[in-house]
Amino acid sequence: MTHPLLELARTRTVLFDGAMGTMLMARGLPVGMAPEIWNVERPDAVREVHAAYFAAGADVVSTNSFGGTPLKLAAHGLEGQAYELNHAAARLAREAAPAGRFVAGSIGPTGKFLKPQGPCSEQDLEAAFADQVRGLAAGGADVLIVETQYDLREALAAVRGARSVSRLPVFVTMTFNLKPRGFFTLMGDTPARAAAALEQAGAAAFGANCTLASDQMAACIRACREATGLALIAQANAGQPVIQADGRVTYSQTLQDYVRYIPDIVRAGASFVGGCCGTDPSFIRAMAGIVGKETP
Amino acid sequence: MTKSELFPKMSEAIVAGDREAAAALAGDAVRGGLDLLDVIERGYVPGMQKVGELWEQGEYFLPELISSAEAMKAAMAVIDPELQKRHLGSRMSGRVVIGTVEGDIHDIGKNLVASMLQAGGFEVHDLGADVKLERFIDKAEEVGAGMICLSALLTTTMTNQRRLIGMLDDRGLRAKYKVLVGGAPASRKWAEEIGADGYAENAVAAVKLAKDLAAAK
Repeated sequence: MTHPLLELARTRTVLFDGAMGTMLMARGLPVGMAPEIWNVERPDAVREVHAAYFAAGADVVSTNSFGGTPLKLAAHGLEGQAYELNHAAARLAREAAPAGRFVAGSIGPTGKFLKPQGPCSEQDLEAAFADQVRGLAAGGADVLIVETQYDLREALAAVRGARSVSRLPVFVTMTFNLKPRGFFTLMGDTPARAAAALEQAGAAAFGANCTLASDQMAACIRACREATGLALIAQANAGQPVIQADGRVTYSQTLQDYVRYIPDIVRAGASFVGGCCGTDPSFIRAMAGIVGKETP
Repeated sequence: MTKSELFPKMSEAIVAGDREAAAALAGDAVRGGLDLLDVIERGYVPGMQKVGELWEQGEYFLPELISSAEAMKAAMAVIDPELQKRHLGSRMSGRVVIGTVEGDIHDIGKNLVASMLQAGGFEVHDLGADVKLERFIDKAEEVGAGMICLSALLTTTMTNQRRLIGMLDDRGLRAKYKVLVGGAPASRKWAEEIGADGYAENAVAAVKLAKDLAAAK
């Protein structure tokens, strides 16, 4: 039985949302505070961001739980609240979702390295991801999206951890850098290697997010397409951040620059497109118009 | 083993990230009574240089970089006490205080830079992540550092790099320290704008920059 969201992606390009953290900061989230705490302290603000993305045309929003593994929450002393914060994250997105739209439970990296580079065993990471997924699943997520992964081994641990406690489809995006010999994660994994290993592990969709600007994303998606039959996800940054003289942060790609490459990304094989750092509902609104036209 | 046999093996151990071999060869050099400064400069340092080249060419990635830095540290752990015993002083390139600025818990890049600086011969005082800006300055004053390295991953926290430079100014200490900035949102332009002494795009470049600045002092 296929999932309705994957079914939808067979019929047309499906639109994800854009950045979350900066949207919360615009609503007063203090620098240094874990955004996940707002799922219980300022639920109205989190719901409002989801609603803005849905209104802009997003089919799927990602929950405010990117840093929601207990390992990551521990940096803020919040590891004991992992279930509660993830449950609330999924529930808020669910509450904001109009009928027929979807909620993806966001799962970011733990920020810890596996042995030998770091202190963690694969079992440590699996357990941490499983804890997060329990909350997201109970809160009403439709799918899970393991995002911004730079270590294939950690991404695989996330898929295993998720599948150990939930039957929700697991999407995975990894973050690639353009190096002299092609696209590689920080740890040296290629899109081809990562896609094949994650497909084998049971991921339901694969793709790339963050770091790459939209003009670099199509080539990365083509590299993924060559390696896997999975549905592909592309969420590019709006270029690089620039701090203006007045302290405002802008990104090097304007909305027009950014969306110009969306048709290339779709033609390269992405069936899910969305934004990452530097994007907001105005980007998603513009993309909604474009992917509508790009649908085969 | 003679130097001509030993030195290429030392370099190879570093390039391969082989801690045991790197330390064992250092032990051979100590027992053989070799000139240990020569051993470092012609045996081990070329290995780290090669690792830097492989990283820049996109052949090596973070795991290889960490393994090589660990191998370098293992060799130095054998050699440094011996240097002190022989009163040859230290091969130290300089003292560095490093950390991720307050409000920012991201430490992967910072850890890598700290490790590579240490492998590059710097005495590194790593304050960790989410470090209050005053602590950078207090620590630098306490240990007599020449350099302060500031990491930030977030656009919202990189402004703390600017604030630290302002605090050094206020305390009349700006000229005493070289301030290096790094992290995903930072750039050369940003470093210039805030009056930092340098920016490095990655850990390999950071070691080069730190060595250049230390030499220029």
